[in-house]
Amino acid sequence: MIRIATDAGGTFTDLVAFSEETGAVFVGKALTTPRDPSVGVLDTIRQAAETGLDPTDASFFVHGGTTVINAITERKGVKAALVTTRGFRDVLAIGRGNRPDLYNLHSLPSEPFVPRSLRLEVTERIDARGDVRTPLVMDDVDAVVETLAEEGVAAVAVVFLHAYANPEHEAAVAARLRERLPGVAVTASHEISRNWREYERSNTAVLSAYVQPIMAGYLANLDRALTAEGLPGQRYCMQSNGGLAKFAAAEAGPLALVESGPAGGVAGAVRIGQALGESDILYLDVGGTTAKCSLIRDGQPVLKSEYKLEWTRLLPGYPVQVPVVDIVEIGAGGGSIAHVGPAGELRVGPESAGADPGPACYGRGGTRPTVTDAKLLTGAIDPDRFAGGRVRLDRRLAAKAFEPVAQHLGTSVVGAAEAAIRLAEANMINALKLVTIQRGHDPRDLTMVVSGGGGPMHAATLGRELGVRRTVIPRHVGLFSAWGMLTARPRFDLRQTSFSTLGPDTPETARAMFRRLEDEAAAYFDAGPGAGLVFDRLIEMRYVGQEHAVATPFDPDAGLDALREAFHARHEQTYTFRLPDTEVELVTYHLGAELDTPRVDLPVIEAVGTVEAALIGDLEVYFGESGGEGRANVYDRERLPPGAVLDGPVLIEEATATTMVLPGQRASVDRFGLIAIEEVR
Amino acid sequence: MQTRPAVAAPRAEAADPVTREIINGKLLAIVDEMAIVLARASMSPVVYEVLDFACGICDGRGDLIAQTNGITIFTGTFSRQVHFIIERFGADMHPGDTFLTNDPFEGGTHACDFAIIRPIFAGGRLIAYAIAVAHLLDVGGAVAGSIPPDATSVFQEGLRLSGIRLTRDDKPIEDIVHIILENVRLPRLTMGDINAELAAVRIAERRIHETVTKYGFEALDETFRLLLAASEARARAVIAGLPDGEYAADDIVDGDGQSDDPIPVRVVVRIKGAEIEADFTGCSPARNAPINCSRGALTSAVKTVMKALVAPQEPSNDGWFRPLTVTAPPGTIFTAEKPSPTGWYYEGAAQASELVWKALAPLAPQRFTAGTYVSLCATYISGSGNDGLFVHIEPQNGGWGATEDRDGASGMIAITDGDTYNYSIELLEAKFPLLIRRYDYNIKGGAGAGRHRGGFGLIREYEVECDDAVLYGSFGHTQTQPWGVDGGEAGSTNGIEVVRGGSSTRLTRTPHFPLRRGDLVRIITGGGGGWGRASDRAPEDVARDVRDGLIDSEAARKAYGVAVDAAGRIDGAATARLRGEMR
Repeated sequence: MIRIATDAGGTFTDLVAFSEETGAVFVGKALTTPRDPSVGVLDTIRQAAETGLDPTDASFFVHGGTTVINAITERKGVKAALVTTRGFRDVLAIGRGNRPDLYNLHSLPSEPFVPRSLRLEVTERIDARGDVRTPLVMDDVDAVVETLAEEGVAAVAVVFLHAYANPEHEAAVAARLRERLPGVAVTASHEISRNWREYERSNTAVLSAYVQPIMAGYLANLDRALTAEGLPGQRYCMQSNGGLAKFAAAEAGPLALVESGPAGGVAGAVRIGQALGESDILYLDVGGTTAKCSLIRDGQPVLKSEYKLEWTRLLPGYPVQVPVVDIVEIGAGGGSIAHVGPAGELRVGPESAGADPGPACYGRGGTRPTVTDAKLLTGAIDPDRFAGGRVRLDRRLAAKAFEPVAQHLGTSVVGAAEAAIRLAEANMINALKLVTIQRGHDPRDLTMVVSGGGGPMHAATLGRELGVRRTVIPRHVGLFSAWGMLTARPRFDLRQTSFSTLGPDTPETARAMFRRLEDEAAAYFDAGPGAGLVFDRLIEMRYVGQEHAVATPFDPDAGLDALREAFHARHEQTYTFRLPDTEVELVTYHLGAELDTPRVDLPVIEAVGTVEAALIGDLEVYFGESGGEGRANVYDRERLPPGAVLDGPVLIEEATATTMVLPGQRASVDRFGLIAIEEVR
Repeated sequence: MQTRPAVAAPRAEAADPVTREIINGKLLAIVDEMAIVLARASMSPVVYEVLDFACGICDGRGDLIAQTNGITIFTGTFSRQVHFIIERFGADMHPGDTFLTNDPFEGGTHACDFAIIRPIFAGGRLIAYAIAVAHLLDVGGAVAGSIPPDATSVFQEGLRLSGIRLTRDDKPIEDIVHIILENVRLPRLTMGDINAELAAVRIAERRIHETVTKYGFEALDETFRLLLAASEARARAVIAGLPDGEYAADDIVDGDGQSDDPIPVRVVVRIKGAEIEADFTGCSPARNAPINCSRGALTSAVKTVMKALVAPQEPSNDGWFRPLTVTAPPGTIFTAEKPSPTGWYYEGAAQASELVWKALAPLAPQRFTAGTYVSLCATYISGSGNDGLFVHIEPQNGGWGATEDRDGASGMIAITDGDTYNYSIELLEAKFPLLIRRYDYNIKGGAGAGRHRGGFGLIREYEVECDDAVLYGSFGHTQTQPWGVDGGEAGSTNGIEVVRGGSSTRLTRTPHFPLRRGDLVRIITGGGGGWGRASDRAPEDVARDVRDGLIDSEAARKAYGVAVDAAGRIDGAATARLRGEMR
């Protein structure tokens, strides 16, 4: 039995496979092929097959990628229309009317994905209680059908006010459109979101419709290619909620794949936490362009119920109602470019040299100085052994790229490189503090797991500055998202807005609501009622008068007082106070359902021999502000045996990354090959 | 293992440029953290939903160094308030002191906005001030909420605390707390929010101490100085790039609530070298109505536009504003003095911003738009529903002016606000006995035609579903249309209509209008002004507007000289003829 995960990123497609019988791990990396991504996927499978992977023995295939997000950001979806309640066609365009770029008087709201001429109205009205106030006028629907046929749309979203409370009008219109417009993809909002807020739900339905035909074609094509390659077994997509969905489910609700890759990394960090016996993990991934960080609490990724596409500090973006792991992303990675800002100050990122042309030292035409160039100049990367020796780095090109910055700062090129590293790390520290200290979590209670090709280079410095308990570098750091996908389990999140005041009936009402959602989850998984499923029940609650609600765990066996106390406690944790005399409202029920499949094991490493045998050289390295400069031994990670202990300063090299251990720190290797870095006290 | 500085410091500097840049990043993180602490600890939706608050750090001289802002109106208030406190308490400031001011006549806005100021000492020396301001739900006065629309004096607008000490040795002074508790309607909520502000300035103090410990007092002080100098130099370079001269703009404030009479206001912007002056001499005297603003709010309103001109996307600090002088005689509608009321100061302040914007638009078209709907059109509907008393407070979104290279934005919030959200229809209907009948573009009022047309305002209709309710609000630009630029047409006006039976009543700045079940309240916001002549608009853009139902074929012909049918098909020959006639 073989599990295979492939992650089709912007530049590379990664593969990690694992044999449950032998514990053997296979890896592959190929260029992503945007025109037909299945080509890149098959390239990785064939590459891994050369090292012994037998794809015909695959019982489980999971795929993550950027197809959905690319179709949206590149505006390559299909021609889509919106059918909505009369009087409200412009809700999609008005959005929330906010101006985050508040001093820029030229700022604009987000351009809607459906133009006004394709936003069509139908007479009907349902109120907040779900009561029909104006019956649906079917003649209007028939007029809409004609317009849609004339315009030749490929997809249509149906969104009526309060459909989360009563979907009957949406369902009737969707049925009529499906009957009269075969071949047109129809998405009714209640089919993918039963949350209130009409603008956000409209965006969700419209964007889902916009990419649905694209995703259907993509998955069908991938499925054919895999079948032709002889892969049997169940096929899954990695979802943004940290779990998996079968291809058919992913096709019906493609927006669930919007942060597929990063969610794979978070799922991997959860699994590492389990292996370490740690339930609270700070996860950091440093790639070529960005650094992403995320917090794992009580062994679970923190989910946000709303996700904003194309959102920045300056842009309102497109909010959609899909559960997504909570990730803070900043523009600081290995390819981030050091440059002089308008006030003469040194800046690093957010612009990146990416993979093409890449850092100057790659010698592929890049001329601007990057963080990777800086690491080469400060001695932390061995130019001859980078990427397992496949890419020879040119120190002179890196120095040339840093020359203008050095001149501007009045220092040497090495001095300028050190400055760029300090700045990039200062940016990462600010982001890590945002997800920890500023949200009420003390880093001293956390273990930090660091992945990505650029991560292990900065991990020790960041860990020391934050004061985390220890910093852990997993194996396969350059393929960690794909590895994480291997460890994820099938998961389905259901959310239902239903408004009530907390009172004696609440426990029974809530139990009934969750039973209904559990039945839906069982039907989704094709399981018997509750069979083999693990449920996570949350109710979003708030004090009367508030708008934002607090997710409160619901225990079906506990009573009213326990629920009330659980809410007060959560509210106090989040907002620092409780209002014991104020009425409490229930807003939205959230059921997370996971299929209780066995967790993938971490393979035990087989390296034999001594630490001395793993020593491959030494380098003169600058270790940053707290580490100073000195000569450091360099070790080969693959040859380090379990139980190895190394006192810093040292460098530990592997094919896709280098781990830096500072003076005053100690690194130890456990039986899974995980490197843990701790301060020596 | 020896350590060495990352960058050899060639001059006698307390901090190398990279360390300064790292400290700058930390300062922004500190003000962000202050805002998170304040919003999390606050108990009132005005703060944590509407973002009617701001946090900042000023240097030891009281000049603003870093700020977080959800809305623009607090852009320029902090340093004035800190300067007042320095003037009053001078050497009598000690670690553990915190000061409080909400006086509109001492750098503030209106009495609802409580500013909390904490001097921060390091090694016995003053290094900085932390400041937080938040809109409190009620501070006493004539009506709940403390902004009576028919106020004639500031004494009706609640408790005014003009720069007092709130804590000593970090403990609240009991007598002061007692005065506050006894003079507001919601004492627990009010003290809750004041405590949230105290928490925000305390976290700033802790973080500043950490930064001083790591980098040293001198490094921080030097970073402050050079940060201000760098912003100032960049602002001066922008101003110097504009042609010297005097640029005047006139406008009308449409009524003050007591009467609908037009109130003339004007500005002359003088640019000389790298300096800029906004001179408001010649504006109406202060009114006996709360749309006045004080000098603090005027300065803030002008600084908002200055920021938009010189560096809209850079972090704010006082360096950007050093080339700016605001001139205005005392006692005008923009420089109201005690005892003039200022409760709805943001109406006056918005028009002050707009005047400077209007004067500068032709000079810096890459930064400014044609006229917008400007007024926040704040609307209050209160009454009794099934769950008792309800109050629905809502700023309205409207149409913005066109720019030199594109159409105006539709349905966006006015300049005085910022990253603030409109109210979800589904949430609102679940909460209040109101049914929304319509929320779409104001096609009937329209937008100013032009080579690029203005953005559209909105129409929002409320049907009242309870037996007794009251409407009040303050809508500006109800008669004076947003201006066009370079031959562009003017936009359309704001207003309220209440439809009862077959008849409709038009309202503007109304203190109290009783509503009945079944009444329809129609809130109308205006479209922005156009930029360039309408006859220069690309016929395809006119045709797209027809297809989108924004204008009809008739308007396309009359306003734009484009012959286009309802399906958006252009008749090229007829268009050429029509446009020939227009010229």
